[in-house]
Amino acid sequence: MANKGTSTFIIQRLSAMAVLPLVIWFLISLVFHAGDSYEETVSWLSNPAAAIPLGLLVIAGAIHMRIGIMEVIEDYIHSGLKTVLLALNWLFALTVAATALWSIYQLAFAG
Amino acid sequence: MAEGAQSARPLSPHLQIWGWTVTMAASIFHRATGVALYAGAALLASWLFAAASGPEAFAFVSDILASPIGIFALFGFTWALLFHMMNGLRHFLWDRGLGLAPKTATRTAWLVFIASLSLTAVIFWVGLNMRGGA
Repeated sequence: MANKGTSTFIIQRLSAMAVLPLVIWFLISLVFHAGDSYEETVSWLSNPAAAIPLGLLVIAGAIHMRIGIMEVIEDYIHSGLKTVLLALNWLFALTVAATALWSIYQLAFAG
Repeated sequence: MAEGAQSARPLSPHLQIWGWTVTMAASIFHRATGVALYAGAALLASWLFAAASGPEAFAFVSDILASPIGIFALFGFTWALLFHMMNGLRHFLWDRGLGLAPKTATRTAWLVFIASLSLTAVIFWVGLNMRGGA
């Protein structure tokens, strides 16, 4: 993708800034919920105070990892395989995000 | 001949020629932990999907995560996340033109390795105590 370097650079930095506080929050929360039962885990994750930041983490994280792995592919793969891998990279990031977001929604409203 | 002209060009030494430095290690580990976290993201999505699917699915995933291999994997992902995050802070400083002096870069590289490993150990010590011992 030509002429997209600057915006990719900026999006990678912005998504990193978004992920930073969310990851700190998530790691601390996980430690405090380490011994939780199924019921306790569901009640924690269905609370908007957890569901909303977790949803944001998933979205910002998916954007960040899609760009990160794209750069790795572009650095090392120079054959026709590159296009295929870049497409699979998109698919993987979208699948992870969709699965996580659907689960968060399910826990909050259908659980 | 095009081929001859190409081989006459000076080549930079291959990766294996260089001796290891901590700044080089930090750079390589930044990329490696980023790739590892790609798998970690799939694990997070699987864990959430299991929780959303019901108690049996959640118990299945929880048992895997609580096994020795599961704990080891979680330790690895936690360290990868902390290392990538802390080394990312070095990248933010470099973007602003700070911390680029070789001595400073070497110090911050050591700091990131030591701090990320120490914090991972603390997190697991607290976490394992929270769930009443391993």
